[in-house]
Amino acid sequence: MNAMSGRWRRVAQKIVGHASWVLPGGQSSWGDAMWRELDYIEDDRAALRWAIGCVTASYVMRLAALPRLGLRLSPRSVLAGILLLSIGLAVQGYASGESSLPAFEESICDLPDVTPEIRPRLRCGTVRVPRDHARPDTGSFSLAVVVIKSAQQPSLPDPVVYINGGPGNPLTIYATYQARNPYAPRRDLILVDQRGSGRSEPSLCPGLDRTLLEANLAVAANGTADAMVKRRAAYITCRDQATRRGIDLKAFGTRVTVEDFEWVRQALGIERWNVYGESYGTAVAMTLVALHPEAVRSAVLDSIYPPDPVPLWSAVVSAARDAFFVHCAQDEACSASFPDLAGTYRETLDRLDRTPLIVNVPPQLQQPNDQARMTAPLFEVLVNRLLYFPTAYPTLPRIIQSVHDGDARGLGNLVASEMEAARMENRATNAAVECRDRPHFRNPLPPGANVMDRTQLYGVCEGWSELGPAPLIPIGASVPTLVLAGQFDPVARPSLSRHVAELIGRSARWIEFPLVGHNVRGFSPCGAKIAADFIDDPRQAPDTSCADRRPPIRFVSKAQIP
Amino acid sequence: MSRKPNSSRQTRAILATLLDRAQTWRHGYDLSKETGLKSGTLYPVLMRLSEQGLLESRWQDPERPGLPPRHVYRLTSTGLALAREQALSEAAAVVGDPSGAVA
Repeated sequence: MNAMSGRWRRVAQKIVGHASWVLPGGQSSWGDAMWRELDYIEDDRAALRWAIGCVTASYVMRLAALPRLGLRLSPRSVLAGILLLSIGLAVQGYASGESSLPAFEESICDLPDVTPEIRPRLRCGTVRVPRDHARPDTGSFSLAVVVIKSAQQPSLPDPVVYINGGPGNPLTIYATYQARNPYAPRRDLILVDQRGSGRSEPSLCPGLDRTLLEANLAVAANGTADAMVKRRAAYITCRDQATRRGIDLKAFGTRVTVEDFEWVRQALGIERWNVYGESYGTAVAMTLVALHPEAVRSAVLDSIYPPDPVPLWSAVVSAARDAFFVHCAQDEACSASFPDLAGTYRETLDRLDRTPLIVNVPPQLQQPNDQARMTAPLFEVLVNRLLYFPTAYPTLPRIIQSVHDGDARGLGNLVASEMEAARMENRATNAAVECRDRPHFRNPLPPGANVMDRTQLYGVCEGWSELGPAPLIPIGASVPTLVLAGQFDPVARPSLSRHVAELIGRSARWIEFPLVGHNVRGFSPCGAKIAADFIDDPRQAPDTSCADRRPPIRFVSKAQIP
Repeated sequence: MSRKPNSSRQTRAILATLLDRAQTWRHGYDLSKETGLKSGTLYPVLMRLSEQGLLESRWQDPERPGLPPRHVYRLTSTGLALAREQALSEAAAVVGDPSGAVA
């Protein structure tokens, strides 16, 4: 592509970007459709003609809304359209003032599984946020926003904003689930797909989802240097594609996401909100409290993912696993069936190292002969994932024992469900945020690193984008803050989250939940109640006595192995 | 007098093209090339057909790595019925039978 043709392509992209901006709310997917067709038009001048047509189409659709106001399309309205076009282009190019004010544009709720009783409680729409909050003239991204009205009306004035984990995971598509599980009585709930995630723009490397997933799986399966080199190449392809599409990778990171949330808050006309961060969402929530404390009534940090510096992840996972093994050893039923679970686990890894186990997997995984190889590193990754979920604890010892004994039955569905979860994450967005946030991914793999560390972004971030401003811990903040920690959490050990709570200071309360992993609220009714009570009245110390009354894990015994 | 909906030359051209391979999902750019309509004409028609429940759309995985997914379109059963009715009436006009019946 010569310099001239590159310029035409960029002009075409700018014009289609404008076309997307002009389209009425609810039709943004058509803007995406126009934008993506551009990548399939090889001739740059044809792309430019296409783009000009698209902007015309958008104005036609915008003007078509006018007859509803009693007007009809006429030569005069077409002229008005052209005028609007000129003004629009000028506004987008040199935006200032009104065009950059936060606004919620409501549209039809096009969400999955919305039941008739939930539908009236949903308000769906988009908020356009500046691509670069420091330079609002550089264009915007549309973020998907869902407001779930409280089942009890009238609702209280300060809603809850739930900030989910990832980064890169969708949220608004789960609105129905969220509507059924209120965070606090009488409070509306705000859900936002963070930039680059779910239904929010930009769509980073959309054609490379599978490539990135497979490159990461290859690292998890064998953890070789070669697999890491190939993964890096996949991410670099993604980076180049994004850059070619005019996406600046500096437009990502927790600090940017925080400004997006602040923009959304203003767009919704909310004076103060209660912030509920989970997993990576705690990094966003903490930074939000640090930078915009006046807008936060209370903060809950569920299963913390603190900013750098953090311990080596494999060490954290190992400590969580050891805690689980110790618990098994102290539990009568577990220790009777699995007297040395830690030893069995080590032996299992040795055996898999020598001879990987063949696992029958469901056809939807599209593996050759519907089989996959369970290697030692992959098993480590799988066991780590099971530590997230208390629902997996009863069977975890039995799974370890079965694999140790060479029995792979039942593993196939487990692998399939993990794959399904992995598919939901946008790995390009994950890298875009993490590489801006976390200096340690630019270092070489530290001594003692194992597969858990290799699955992180070591070897990817250097060359992806520059390091951005760091997420923050709100040290000394006065916002009442509740920190929830699961005993077996493999992302941050309870001791680390307690340390973070101590750094925040007197405004923070820290509670550990025995027999819980990552996501306290989701798996502990007690945790959910404490969080709800806290949000209801953040100045009042919540009754935490239920935390120690969790029912014991009902371990599946060895005798129950079929 | 108001014009019958979906009777413009452009809309009929798009309906006829979509009817031609009714089960195939079609891309915007390909439709543009096939009908000779520019994107400025094509998309408003597609959007209106979609609003009227005559056109369904979805995102299709990219044809090769490195490219984004594409928005693709085909007629719904109602859209197919309309396109067929239109094709029949055009055929009838050609043979001079106003009932539209084609043997």
